[in-house]
Amino acid sequence: MIARIIIDLFLLLGCFFAFAGVVGLIRMPDSFTRMQSSTNIATLGVLWTVLGVAIYAFMNNNIAFGIKVILIGVFVVITSAISGHAILRGAYKHGIRPDNLVVDEYRRDNPDE
Amino acid sequence: MIEFVYVGIFYALLALMLLYRVLKGPSVVDRAVAADSIDILTVVALIVFSIFSNRSIYLDIALVLAILGFLGTVLIARYLEGRL
Repeated sequence: MIARIIIDLFLLLGCFFAFAGVVGLIRMPDSFTRMQSSTNIATLGVLWTVLGVAIYAFMNNNIAFGIKVILIGVFVVITSAISGHAILRGAYKHGIRPDNLVVDEYRRDNPDE
Repeated sequence: MIEFVYVGIFYALLALMLLYRVLKGPSVVDRAVAADSIDILTVVALIVFSIFSNRSIYLDIALVLAILGFLGTVLIARYLEGRL
């Protein structure tokens, strides 16, 4: 019973963070702030839900299932950082700038790009 | 546990809400980021559905979907940089 309450709590936290990320992705004013808000889905939203599912699988003696779920979660969390970094550089080189840009240190460090 | 079904339906509704950003997004980066987020939400919904129905074939589909989404996003980023 206690374990079921804990699993529900984890699933609820995952739903909350995913909802916050989606609201930020729709409502934010700028491309780069929207990108920052989409990271919320891929890290915390995935991680809490995957932890809840893995606890449920381990509780039912379903070891292979739990290990596979944790592997998928770790894969998504690691690759979201990589793809976010790549698409940020791509957006900068494509000519997209933030709205209220004050200091541009990337341009200062790489003046020929 | 019936809660897994509710969580899966909630994630599917969030993915449907993100279709607004894919359709409207002013630049190509917004569309790419929103499509990547839709992919991740689908992966989580598949995980939850597979633990509900107790079939691990959906878990393999979720893993393949995660890998393909990552590759697609990195490919779009390389294309935007102009190095493809």
